[in-house]
Amino acid sequence: MDAATIRELLEAAFPGASSVDVQDRTGGGDHFQVTVVSTAFDGLSLIDQHRRVNEALAAPLADGSIHELRIKTKGTA
Amino acid sequence: MKTLNEQISDVIAQEPVAVFMKGTPQMIMCGNSHRALQALQAAGAPITAVDILPDPRIRRELSSISGWPTIPQVFVRGELVGGADITEELASSGELQQKLDDALGADRAQDVKVVELQLA
Repeated sequence: MDAATIRELLEAAFPGASSVDVQDRTGGGDHFQVTVVSTAFDGLSLIDQHRRVNEALAAPLADGSIHELRIKTKGTA
Repeated sequence: MKTLNEQISDVIAQEPVAVFMKGTPQMIMCGNSHRALQALQAAGAPITAVDILPDPRIRRELSSISGWPTIPQVFVRGELVGGADITEELASSGELQQKLDDALGADRAQDVKVVELQLA
């Protein structure tokens, strides 16, 4: 899975996000660092923010396309 | 014998700080599990570790209980704190230590132990 596909999934899940960044950490297409800044996170605890990202990437997480996922989220408030 | 689901639920409910990880604190098999452990130890947490690698069913049952898809998973007094990223973030902001102080008291022991699940 390439970083662009992950980015599309995140942009679809967080429309209007101020920032979506996806890094393929190893170049192998399965270790990703994702950073999302969105109003969708405003008022949510860190764990609920990460839950939203996990939900957006549920399919590639479940089928093993993402082997390792590092998440950084931020609200805009 | 208790089912795997019951054994996992028991560890989560009964252990002050439960960490489901790849490997054990003596032999860590994944960078993220290492990060979570380091953050917990820096915050002065006791650790009860469960290795999820011996059987794929462990991870499956754990994720069905917690609703969290990735490993490691850190629980304090039965409550999911998060994975490696959140544990690190909360440790560096001081919130993890505060959470541990509130849940376990400031003069807590810092024991490390490993629980082996019984596989049918």
